[in-house]
Amino acid sequence: MSRSQLSSTPKKRRTRETAILSLLAVLIVAMFIISMNTGLIRLSPTEVIHTLLGEGSQQQKLILFDFRLPRIVISLLVGAGFAVAGCILQSLSRNALAEPSTLGINAGAGFAVLIFISFVPATTAAPIFMLPLMALAGAGLTATLIYVLAFRREDGLSPTRLILIGIAVGAGIYAFQLILSLRLDPENYQFVATWLAGKIWGGDWRFVMALLPWILILVPFAFYKARVLNVLNLGDEIPVGLGLPVERERVLLMAAAVALAGSCVAVSGGIGFVGLIAPHLARRIVGPRHQILLPACALVGALLLLTADTIARWILQPSEIPTGIVVAIIGAPYFLYLLARSKA
Amino acid sequence: MVTSTHSQPRTHPEGEKQLKSRPAAAVVILIAGLGAILFGLALSVSVGAADIRLASVWEAVFRFNPELPQHQVIRELRIPRALAGALVGACFAVAGAIMQGMTRNPLADSGLLGLNAGASVGLALAFAFAPSMSFIYIMLYCFIGAAAASLLVFGIGSLSHSGLTPLRLTLSGAAVSALLLAISQGVAILFHLSQDIAFWMAGGIGGTSWTQLRIMFPWVAAALIGSLMISRSITLLSLGRDVAAGLGQRTRLVQTAGILIVVVLAGAAVSAVGPIAFIGLIIPHVTRFLVGVDYRWIIPCSAVLGSVLIIFADIAARMINAPYETPLGALIAVIGVPFFIYLASKRKGGLT
Amino acid sequence: MYSINLKRAGHRKLASIGLLTLTLILSACGNNNSANSTGGAANAPAASADATTAPASEAPAATTAPAVEKTVTDAMGHKVTVPANPQRVLASYLEDYLVVLGVTPVAQWSVTNGIQDYLADELKDVPTISFDLPLEAVTGFAPDFHIVQSEASVQNGLYDQLNKIAPTYVLGDEISKDWRKSLLKIGELLNKSAEAKQAIAAYDQKAADAKAKISTVIGDDSVAILWLVKKNFYIVDETRSSGAVVYGDLGLKLPNLVTEIPAASRATWNPISLEKLAELTADHIFLVNSDKTEGSEILNSPIWKGIPAVKAGNVHEFASNHSWLYSGAIANSKTIDDVLNSLVK
Repeated sequence: MSRSQLSSTPKKRRTRETAILSLLAVLIVAMFIISMNTGLIRLSPTEVIHTLLGEGSQQQKLILFDFRLPRIVISLLVGAGFAVAGCILQSLSRNALAEPSTLGINAGAGFAVLIFISFVPATTAAPIFMLPLMALAGAGLTATLIYVLAFRREDGLSPTRLILIGIAVGAGIYAFQLILSLRLDPENYQFVATWLAGKIWGGDWRFVMALLPWILILVPFAFYKARVLNVLNLGDEIPVGLGLPVERERVLLMAAAVALAGSCVAVSGGIGFVGLIAPHLARRIVGPRHQILLPACALVGALLLLTADTIARWILQPSEIPTGIVVAIIGAPYFLYLLARSKA
Repeated sequence: MVTSTHSQPRTHPEGEKQLKSRPAAAVVILIAGLGAILFGLALSVSVGAADIRLASVWEAVFRFNPELPQHQVIRELRIPRALAGALVGACFAVAGAIMQGMTRNPLADSGLLGLNAGASVGLALAFAFAPSMSFIYIMLYCFIGAAAASLLVFGIGSLSHSGLTPLRLTLSGAAVSALLLAISQGVAILFHLSQDIAFWMAGGIGGTSWTQLRIMFPWVAAALIGSLMISRSITLLSLGRDVAAGLGQRTRLVQTAGILIVVVLAGAAVSAVGPIAFIGLIIPHVTRFLVGVDYRWIIPCSAVLGSVLIIFADIAARMINAPYETPLGALIAVIGVPFFIYLASKRKGGLT
Repeated sequence: MYSINLKRAGHRKLASIGLLTLTLILSACGNNNSANSTGGAANAPAASADATTAPASEAPAATTAPAVEKTVTDAMGHKVTVPANPQRVLASYLEDYLVVLGVTPVAQWSVTNGIQDYLADELKDVPTISFDLPLEAVTGFAPDFHIVQSEASVQNGLYDQLNKIAPTYVLGDEISKDWRKSLLKIGELLNKSAEAKQAIAAYDQKAADAKAKISTVIGDDSVAILWLVKKNFYIVDETRSSGAVVYGDLGLKLPNLVTEIPAASRATWNPISLEKLAELTADHIFLVNSDKTEGSEILNSPIWKGIPAVKAGNVHEFASNHSWLYSGAIANSKTIDDVLNSLVK
């Protein structure tokens, strides 16, 4: 697929890329409208538009602006965040199966948040801004642990070992989560269980505000580093030959990916597979050039998660299932499909 | 697609160092292991919420008096619990040994490869739709779940040309586990069973009854005997499928039998105590280290050592934070995770 | 007595008459709280009974303002503005109190597999709402006042969103573990303190009568309250739920096992292993069986059958649709009825 693009002229390519990105944006807008219409209380598309234009009733405004809209925005942000994080990790490790959840980073972030929830009574608004920081600390510690365990002097960071150790560390963290969560009283337990299964929190503008800075800084940072990622993806020898400080760039980008994943986990709980699928789909559509791959990835991720969240809200009305479950049920088979096709 | 394009070593992990088997060591392990099991059972029976002296344990077994509540407790609660521990330990360990031998994959384990998660889905469905189902049906549901999971995991492997490499198997196990876990979580949240399932997921052998043991035992016994019967073929398979075929093995038949046995062992064990991972990973490795590469010795020794591990882990689970019980599955994971990391990083260049 | 329901008694005259009687009652109690007396005007309990007989209603009533909205502070420190006359109240899992106060909630608590069965008659026309309070479902019921039982159920921003739909008051675990305090607090919020006090007095009278009857029958015998669910037994202590009724209000004696649980680690329902249960020496067992089919295996085990009270045939079994797992004036009153029926033949 990439060959055809390489042979085409830059101008043609740019037109094609613009077309693809616009198409993705249109799909997101379409999904956005569907999602705005999804919920227990029926609102017709015209009512939605009226309300968006500021003419709805008090109740309609409440539902759209305070319940549905923040949640949609969070889905979009989290989807983009996980997708970009996954894309960075896949390129850095040169492994198609790397993503925050297979590397155990989500588990670490989740565990930190679980500890926080269990020991700090959530009576005031303050914890909401603490959550991304806690998740970040957990994700960072886990990533460091995995890095240290997987790094060997003779052959550096082997991609497979990285993943295997990620899975092992993830399993260990899961065991501790289990011990901790059984100690909770049933009410807190229900909350934590749903959260760990990946539920996009009620959707409060404050969660959006807590997440937004991280996304706004780290995603553009990844875009800025697109060329470095292109080179790193080729293997260690070439970039060294090009005079690139490989280890420094790698650690920097790794930290960005971990921070993205961590802050997303803080508001969305344990949602896996988005960081895996989105880069793959994006790569199929636009090829391996990170300048275009990363934006496409962010859009695909946002679209995927918004779709999954809409399904999660719609499928079992009036109750809903955690979004992470929907994502896993769609994502795991795709993962297995990738695995079956891969050659390693 | 970006994929790791590294070749797989075709030798058994321990194979080069210890191609010999050591029957003498195996015999010693079997005898010492059985002794340890007996000692562990006695210890396990005398430890619990109610204080009971060893003398009354002896009396409860040999001079049973139904009028004494202590004797009833020993008969009805502690003995089945201890026996269940022994049985389940053997199940998980032998299942792990067979999987490692058949797939030549040092990281195979019924927990890591998704079989336990499959059985859990079966169990969650059973809890949700027929809460008052008798144990035999629950166990059958677990069998079906475990079988579906193994089909998925092994199916992925056979779909590709290079077969079941350790990495591929572990990854597909992780993905299948994630999928099945999501399904059981969904079922649990929908039907409001969350914490019931969670307790059971954490693994514990507290509530095992004689009825459960009675239903489980014939299946487990048949599977264990079956595993001994195919143990020689598994030794050959562990040298490589081509080698086995060249020696006149009907590899397909042996593999099918092996998978069936693993499904029964894992399903039965999970239905009784919940998904406990890592036993099937650790025990066969330790056994192979001690007795060499002949599965005719590895399988029985794994069974014995698995029993010993669970019996003592269960005693620890009851004593660490008495009077509360620490989830057995979590306790085993605390030992298992470092072991897994050790295995994964020990190999030169990872599994590449 | 408190069942007289005058929800829509908005007529000014009736209200003022009611207010007078209420003021009289309150001053008789020596506990005249101005917020309550103003608020109680609309729905005074004795209003209809006394409407024709109350003398000279004009003077005092005219000086008192009609019910006004008030601002209170809830268990989590929120300032909550309670409407003057809440008409559409939502109080999930607190329905017992609303029923006692003669208020029909807009929706009732439910989980996938059921509702509070013992209130099924009182709430038979009330639609259900899922226990986790989905926001759009709450919006759909358009409540004008919302009471939430515990802090834990509205953490992490849920409170703020609920509060956008309607003023939301968090009762808090500290208050909700004591049904009397809960009833008084909810009565105060809904301008029905008089009904609340009356209900408590009536209950206490009933409990005292029952206590006298029971003590003559079983004397100094000890009783245990067990709950069997998912093959596990739980035992209740003397402070909460039906334990507060049986041991506190009815003065029955605690069994050995409860006194052995360290006070610090006690929960409402304490898990107890069958091993421990074998040592239970209680003379009577009240068994709440939520495990009709699954649990039968345990109830047939030799250990269960070896417990002295079981041997003596002193097990009183109730299905889970009885009120034993709940707390409140109605629940506790029904629990007393169950105890009387079981022990006093």
